[in-house]
Amino acid sequence: MKKTSFLFAMVFFTVAVFAQKKTTTSAVIGFDATTSKDALAKAENKTAIASFDIKSGVVAFETVIKNFTFTNPRIQEHFNSAGWMDSDQFPVASFKGTISNLSALNFSKDGTYDADIEGELTIHGITNPVKAKATIIIEGKKISSRSVFSIKLEDYKVSGAAIGAGKVSKEPVITVSADFK
Amino acid sequence: MLFKIVNPGHKKLGILLFGLLLAGAAFIWYIFNDKHADTLEQKADFALTANDLIKEFKQGSNGANAKYVEKIISVSGIVTEIENADTTANIKMTDPETGDYIIFAFQQQHQEETKKLQEGMHVTIKGSCSGAVYSEILGINFISFKRAVIIN
Repeated sequence: MKKTSFLFAMVFFTVAVFAQKKTTTSAVIGFDATTSKDALAKAENKTAIASFDIKSGVVAFETVIKNFTFTNPRIQEHFNSAGWMDSDQFPVASFKGTISNLSALNFSKDGTYDADIEGELTIHGITNPVKAKATIIIEGKKISSRSVFSIKLEDYKVSGAAIGAGKVSKEPVITVSADFK
Repeated sequence: MLFKIVNPGHKKLGILLFGLLLAGAAFIWYIFNDKHADTLEQKADFALTANDLIKEFKQGSNGANAKYVEKIISVSGIVTEIENADTTANIKMTDPETGDYIIFAFQQQHQEETKKLQEGMHVTIKGSCSGAVYSEILGINFISFKRAVIIN
């Protein structure tokens, strides 16, 4: 009897803990490297996976590089090429970090909260520390988030003639939006 | 008067250079204004069921990636989820046994068409395959598509 109760308690605990982890497979990641010389270096990926553990504050996302869509097919080809993102060798970009001010978020009260996120971003096989601000919106059981930050391409060993010529920004803006379930 | 003093050889060279300049400008204009073709108008390189595609990637992702990535594929299967992606929606076809799934992000001019779909419907969707990867977050494999469009 004790064994059975213990087993039920463990199952309940596991389910309860799992429910703390909110996920989506349709997070949207924007990449904007446009400059005054060229407005084409801009893409979006709507199939990123994102997770948010509301208990621990751990946040993560991962995205398939080849699923970024540019309006111009040639720019998309360059983006995936060996000199750039080299998506055949490094098919995924990912982030894992934590919300450092988790106590400022009240998940039982609807509202818009500012979150400070610190973590590690891996692009092109290179991992760098990243700090970013995020806006977390809590509305009933729904949690959504949006974060905008910039990266330095040289930190991820991404280079090319177009960057040197000023047609692609050296510090593109990354936007991450997610509606968690 | 001007034409009389210009060397005919120079005149031909000038016309040639002007022609080359024009062709170069037209080429650059074409490059910068090029757009992806409407997937609806593109012929599918492969047509298969969602289960078969998931199985093929599961059996050998390297071989399947080499075969299918950046190819237009027509996939038939059951809609298991319609998931919001900002102001649009993605369609998922999931293997109930493994949790592995295919996800379709739609081409801009076809995004509204996802509203016609409901979970449980059998559909055929055509799109550009971006390959399969293993998700460290979810612990499952997923195959993503871009520029998708509903066929029927």
